[in-house]
Amino acid sequence: MRPAFIAAAFAAFFAASAFSQDKPAASPPPSWQQGKPSALSESTLHPFNIEMTGRSASELPIDKLKVPAGFKVQVWAEGMPGARSMALGDKGTVFVGTRQLSEVYAVTERDGKRVATVLLKGLNAPNGIVFNKGTLYIAERDRITRYDDIESRLDNAPEAKVIVDGLDPDKQPGHFWKFLAMGPDGKLYYNVGAPGNIVMPGYFQATISRVDPKTGVIETVAQGVRNSVGFDFHPKTKELWFTNHGRDWMGDDSPNDTLNRVSHKGMNFGYPFCHQGDMPDPDFGKHRSCAEFDKPTLKLGAHIAPIGMRFYTGKMFPAEYQNNIFIAMRGSWNRTEKQGYNVMRVVLDPQGKVLKYEPFLTGFLLDAKADPPMWGRPNDVMVMRDGALLVSDDQNGIIYRVSYGK
Amino acid sequence: MCIGCHGGDGNSTNKTIPSLAGQPRQLIATQLFQFRQGNRKDPQMSPIAANLSNADMNDLAAYFATLKATPPSHRTSADNAKLGAELAKKYQCTQCHGPSLLGQQHIPRLAGQQPDYLRTQLKGFKANTRADMDGNMTSAAQALSDNDIDVLVDYLAGLTAE
Ligand code: HEC
Ligand code: HEC
Repeated sequence: MRPAFIAAAFAAFFAASAFSQDKPAASPPPSWQQGKPSALSESTLHPFNIEMTGRSASELPIDKLKVPAGFKVQVWAEGMPGARSMALGDKGTVFVGTRQLSEVYAVTERDGKRVATVLLKGLNAPNGIVFNKGTLYIAERDRITRYDDIESRLDNAPEAKVIVDGLDPDKQPGHFWKFLAMGPDGKLYYNVGAPGNIVMPGYFQATISRVDPKTGVIETVAQGVRNSVGFDFHPKTKELWFTNHGRDWMGDDSPNDTLNRVSHKGMNFGYPFCHQGDMPDPDFGKHRSCAEFDKPTLKLGAHIAPIGMRFYTGKMFPAEYQNNIFIAMRGSWNRTEKQGYNVMRVVLDPQGKVLKYEPFLTGFLLDAKADPPMWGRPNDVMVMRDGALLVSDDQNGIIYRVSYGK
Repeated sequence: MCIGCHGGDGNSTNKTIPSLAGQPRQLIATQLFQFRQGNRKDPQMSPIAANLSNADMNDLAAYFATLKATPPSHRTSADNAKLGAELAKKYQCTQCHGPSLLGQQHIPRLAGQQPDYLRTQLKGFKANTRADMDGNMTSAAQALSDNDIDVLVDYLAGLTAE
């Protein structure tokens, strides 16, 4: 929809800070290296990348996927390279955002067949996606927009209406792609991550904020959040819960990625001073105490890269799954033996205390010591109206469906 | 359609055109995607990629990835064989391109690649004119001097890809 975008996105995404006109005297090291101690200079851990052209499920070891007894997992739709965050329309359209591509897909049933089509293109990392009362909201790297009455205009999407712009003023590399969720207060919640692995964030970075779509007024909700790309609201308490990625290059087992609960506005989860609520950063934490900061609800493991999370509110799964949290773990590269790459289940008591944390969908990880260790990477989860759980896999551009019974 | 330039068995004999044989499958598909999207531009390659579908790209990638890389005709000078290995270590080229620089996943094989092609790409990354999916290679090239690039090119082009 924005042809001029490619060039802009290119600068935003791919250019390192070293090339801007007003370049600082010593440009910071790139993210894959930043914070890496010299003792690890010969490490062969390297970032992975998604399959830009997608992969067909027929070429992949889908039969390796495992779910608990009574559940079933199937390929639901494919052909959506980079498929990440998902949103469900009133008429059943599944909208799918991407991060490294510029597309938003729509999956619909046409003549009894499920088809994935490109709905929007030329966007700037359209990772955040929400459907609410007929409108599709999209969070790009630099702005949040709306597309009204989208489900009756799937073949000819309307122009974007801008809610906020200028969310990426410096166009520097960093964790600036966004997750988007509609709060019970009618406001759109989004994240602005940290500009690098471990660096002092700028004024509105490392935060979760919300914007009122009617007025465009922004408020900060939580600070000290390094990189959260998944959140949801508790069905009963309406509190915001979010996943957060810990820093890299601090060892295979530390710090933990976390699950967090926002019980009031203005909480600070510690970045860059304190990780996982109790581990001072070796540099930034020297003159700070973790006691000052809010604690995570659950430590999820190191380098497991939690992304999408949703409370289960469907009717299909057994009763004990009600209000459980499903978390998609994309798995990370910064660990000698890899972990993550699963969809996890978190069981809470009514007060929000964690009772159980266990794998739900596994099998993407084939060999923790191999390079690559996995054949797919779960990215987001979404509860369908029939109660089935969709799981997106951005490595391959595939969506799976987990169902129970039948 | 490809072999006229990239060589009958995927091993190019032209110093400015890359060999595709023995390149990782994901790398080939990714680069074809980059040419089609217009992110990476080349007067010869861009028009060819423009009409390829994702499925075509995946098929071509799967095919060329199975072809075997033949030993390079390039001969590295004795000095650069030593210097190049040191630079590749110093700049952590092996962190991503693999211990023997054979590439992996979306990361290209450098061992035995055509020298003029390697030089153009490294200069392009340094000048921020060669497309780069995630910015990692562009950042890796920033530290390289023109002389480093010459040494690395002479070193890499002479490595046997096995
Ligand atoms: C007219 C000559 C020509 C033809 C025909 C051609 N290519 Fe290329 N190709 C090139 C050149 C030149 C480059 C290097 C471009 C540059 O310098 O960036 C290239 C680059 C590539 C690359 C990037 C390799 C890398 O290491 O990054 C791939 C992949 C590729 N070509 C695949 C193909 C395929 C597949 C076909 C057939 C469908 C094909 N080419 C046909 C000339 C050609
Ligand atoms: C952090 C990972 C990383 C490091 C370190 C790295 N590279 Fe790369 N390199 C890549 C990736 C990824 C690509 C593919 C870029 C793309 O097109 O998206 C690449 C591409 C290249 C290419 C282009 C080859 C082709 O076939 O197109 C050359 C040449 C190259 N690298 C040389 C080097 C050298 C020399 C070093 C050390 C000075 C180095 N790289 C260090 C990740 C890395």
